[in-house]
Amino acid sequence: MPAINRLFVANRGEIAVRIVRACERLGIEAVVAVSEVDRNSLPAQLATRAVCIGPAAAGQSYLRAETLVAAALGSGCQAVHPGYGFLSERARFARMCEDAGLLFVGPRPESIEAMGEKLAAVRIAEQAGVPRVPGSDRIETIEDAHRAGEHIGYPLLIKATAGGGGRGMRLVQAARDLAGAIESAASEARAAFGDPTLYIEKFISRARHVEVQVLGDGKGHVVHLGERDCSTQRRYQKLIEEAPSPAIDDRVRHRMCEAAVRLAAQVTYRGAGTVEFVYDPERREFYFLEMNTRIQVEHPVTEMVTGRDLVAEQIRIAAGEPISFSQEEVELRGHAIECRINSEDPASNFMPCPGRIETWNPPPTDDQVRVDTHCYSGYVVPPHYDSLLAKLIVHARDRSSAIRSMSEALAAFRISGVTTTIPFHREVLRHDDFRNAAIHTRWVDQEFMPAMSTTKSGARAALARAAG
Amino acid sequence: MELSHEDVKKILEIVDASEHLHEVELVYGGFRLHVRRGAAGVTALADDRAAFAPAAKPAVAVGAPPSSAKLAPEPALAEGEVAIRAPMLGTFYRSPSPGDPPFVEIGKRVQADDTVCVIEVMKLFSSIKAGVDGVVMRILVENGIMVEFNQMLIVIATSQ
Repeated sequence: MPAINRLFVANRGEIAVRIVRACERLGIEAVVAVSEVDRNSLPAQLATRAVCIGPAAAGQSYLRAETLVAAALGSGCQAVHPGYGFLSERARFARMCEDAGLLFVGPRPESIEAMGEKLAAVRIAEQAGVPRVPGSDRIETIEDAHRAGEHIGYPLLIKATAGGGGRGMRLVQAARDLAGAIESAASEARAAFGDPTLYIEKFISRARHVEVQVLGDGKGHVVHLGERDCSTQRRYQKLIEEAPSPAIDDRVRHRMCEAAVRLAAQVTYRGAGTVEFVYDPERREFYFLEMNTRIQVEHPVTEMVTGRDLVAEQIRIAAGEPISFSQEEVELRGHAIECRINSEDPASNFMPCPGRIETWNPPPTDDQVRVDTHCYSGYVVPPHYDSLLAKLIVHARDRSSAIRSMSEALAAFRISGVTTTIPFHREVLRHDDFRNAAIHTRWVDQEFMPAMSTTKSGARAALARAAG
Repeated sequence: MELSHEDVKKILEIVDASEHLHEVELVYGGFRLHVRRGAAGVTALADDRAAFAPAAKPAVAVGAPPSSAKLAPEPALAEGEVAIRAPMLGTFYRSPSPGDPPFVEIGKRVQADDTVCVIEVMKLFSSIKAGVDGVVMRILVENGIMVEFNQMLIVIATSQ
């Protein structure tokens, strides 16, 4: 069994801190890659060593596979943890690590490749008996699209096979809009992914996003750790996540988790992964959306309800060890909610607000309140990367207690110097639709924000009130 | 690249016309233009490190960072000395291939265009030039060691 005594963290921000902490717990030295603006970052200070890999621009630092592999080898590491984003789902990077003799903390390159191509993933799901959203094969021509449209029905969604983050995606209400939407989606997909291939899926209105966390040992054994509900989204970006889902019952939960395990087992999955589903609350049906082959931002809600350390488990699996618990030992307790605190201005269309944090005063943490962050008073949020400042996670015996506890924690969280999404979260949490679990993935865009900003000053006033 | 008065005026007009824009930072090569709405005005900074200099008001020390940064102190330079820095992370080699004599030794006179070392990233070798005319004073890195981005490699005393 290959032992890991030094691990290379090929990421930054809160997830780099999270990985360093997991290494501490496992008695492993952590070497953190830093760009020039991240030289003094919290992960760099907490790690055994920081290695400067390049200038601030991610394209010249955190996205440089060759440099990261050279840095991992040069600093004497045996394994590479890619975190999320950046190179975490690039099969080429995983392959380069393995070719260089480094253990990649993630799935085999072939699994990343198979799941990265959305239609290939759908086919694997079908083989595993996991239902997909009613949809087409690849669309080659406008005639294909029209045939698929007639077959599937409107409204429908156009998607890019190389897709992600909503790019190359179009909602089409009627056949007359199809040709134009296909054209613009294809060019957007070509620009974003270098691949204009599209397919079509039925649009499920008022859908929820529910996903299942799985762990595979790479030898055919897979366990699930229950589901997360990430329906509070803005433009396909998750903002609030919770576990368990308030929208599904035990019967659906059981079927969904079983489906996720079958899918992961189908590819002899190794490491942590997430199988995402669209859930139609009216029909009480779920459909496979895609599989994410990395640790996810929202993994802490699962950790809070299961009491398992997913990042430590990832590292153990990479070292060739078996999963440290059985399916029977996975127990879901209580309810957890996570709010993503971003340096964005909700009153100005969520415009990113990098800059110097003057006061950083998070609520007191204990085993029921957790803050995952790389920020501190005096930290400068660089403009080069994403705007995630912290993840605030609470755990309580049930959902209403968790909402109460989250509201209190948000109220106690004091940040000055940069504008944050805390006021937005406080408003969502006090909204009846959220409290009644009556929201869907377009609720923030279509209902919540329009109501907030009937007048711009009204929105500012509401968000200021929430801030006060 | 130099920004002309006309360019700056145009940028200011764009900032002025856009409702949501509070701050603009333009970086082009070594040149940096920083425009902020309101009292702060326009500053053009040649040095990157000054861009996010601490605000006048000191930060409140709550949730302060751990104090020990993992940075090796950089060797000080005497007057007239210039450090050649690594333009990329990689393995530092003093000679073109094993067994060959080193590109430079201490005391050697070099010209700006002379290669002083190579850096290898996954079998890709980049020649590093002196960049200035002068004499090699110190070689700060051992052969075959990984160097980080922007790390000091060789100190040259410039000849004016």
